[in-house]
Amino acid sequence: MNENYYPWGGDFTVCSPGGCVAVVLLIIDHIPPEDVAIYGPLKTENIGVEKIVANVISNPYIRYLAVCGEDIRGHRAGSSLVALHKNGIDKQHRIIDAPGAIPYIENIDEKAIERFRKQVEVVNLIGVTDKKKIDSIIKEYTSKHPLPFGEPYVAIKIKPEIDSKMDDKRALHSKIVVDYMGKIEKRSI
Amino acid sequence: MFSFTKNQEVFDISGVHIGGQPGIYPTVLFGGLFFKGEPNFDDAKNELKKMMTLSEKTGNPAIPDFFIKKEEDIEDIINFIEKTLPKNYPFSVDITDPSIKVKILECLHEKKMLSRTIYNSIHVGITDEEKLTLEKYTPDAAIIVAFNPKDKSPDGKIEVLENGAHLTDKGLLDIAKEIGIKKILIDTAALAPGENSGASIAAIPVIKEEYGLPAGCAIHNVVEKSKWLDNFGVARKIVDAASNITINIFGGDYAIFGPIANSDIVFPIMAWNDILISEYTENYFGVSPVDSHPRRKFRP
Repeated sequence: MNENYYPWGGDFTVCSPGGCVAVVLLIIDHIPPEDVAIYGPLKTENIGVEKIVANVISNPYIRYLAVCGEDIRGHRAGSSLVALHKNGIDKQHRIIDAPGAIPYIENIDEKAIERFRKQVEVVNLIGVTDKKKIDSIIKEYTSKHPLPFGEPYVAIKIKPEIDSKMDDKRALHSKIVVDYMGKIEKRSI
Repeated sequence: MFSFTKNQEVFDISGVHIGGQPGIYPTVLFGGLFFKGEPNFDDAKNELKKMMTLSEKTGNPAIPDFFIKKEEDIEDIINFIEKTLPKNYPFSVDITDPSIKVKILECLHEKKMLSRTIYNSIHVGITDEEKLTLEKYTPDAAIIVAFNPKDKSPDGKIEVLENGAHLTDKGLLDIAKEIGIKKILIDTAALAPGENSGASIAAIPVIKEEYGLPAGCAIHNVVEKSKWLDNFGVARKIVDAASNITINIFGGDYAIFGPIANSDIVFPIMAWNDILISEYTENYFGVSPVDSHPRRKFRP
């Protein structure tokens, strides 16, 4: 595997380095065919979706994203992922028309999202739980052998600015002061 | 073991007191039911009985947290709550699916149970429909989850409470107050392993000093999501239960401790920790535990 692939980490299994299909497992316990690039579960409609986007675009060989199994009630992470691919995000960073509870993309920039939308085609198998059927559809796509989508794209994690200095004597957090006995007071600015 | 300068609110939720300076009231423990699979009411009845017995033994109040996944379950679960829990006993309803929140609130209203309901939860995904329904059918208390998808630090959590972090048009605290919720509990939003979950613990004293509101979280969620712990066999349940002690040691008021089946470990652990906290805070800060506190039941 190219060591630059999948920089955001997560709960996934890497299979074939040149595989063109990534498989997202919703409520389904399944090991897809070994010629897929990568597979793993998706639980949340925000952080989980971000990790999939970042990891998928790091490997330009991935051209298809199969999303299978029953969707997670409430979170609707699978449908939110499909909505992101179809519609992108609005100005508030909300996935447009996503049905999930908190479908916000906050840690990855719009360029990375656009790259994701262009790089892969979504194979929407949400609601499909028949493993034979899933594998047979995946095989259709793995046999296509499309060209890679240019160079790997390493999405930078957007991090909030941290205002800390070496001489900062705060305990726990800058907003409070804790004395040696454990008395907490709001820090005066 | 802390004492806060800011005045600390104590809420009486249908007889259960929650909040205040550390060492006065015992940590309130929320045990979850119906998270996995289809609701099994016989098992639930037995588990509830066990949790209530442990609550009596330790002094830590127990609140059953009912997870309602789908519309078909609403009536059965609410009927079960009505029939099984003692009259006027408080409980929480944990709902993630936005489409069923309205129906659950309507059902609780019809059965006159809102006065003992803790709504779990209000967060940045709140919809206009949900707000209107909450205004119409207002539960006695609500948990606000301070989840900020962009910034998981205590600052990020305060940001969503204060101004909604551009995800909602105003802060979650203002939204809850405008709805008319008088008893607000802050959940500091523990996430998955590697997602700065330590911040959910550090945020507890920060938020209590900032707002004086009861604070806690479901820190066990982090343990539950860990694959690494699979390497340690039976340790998972112990680590899961023990993770809760970070909450009261950091001044927190409640723990949403996960499956009710973990009550057998969670209650004694939390009670033991409450005893230590009370010993210290009484000696140094002069606050005495209430009569129901685990320390009053402690026999060395």
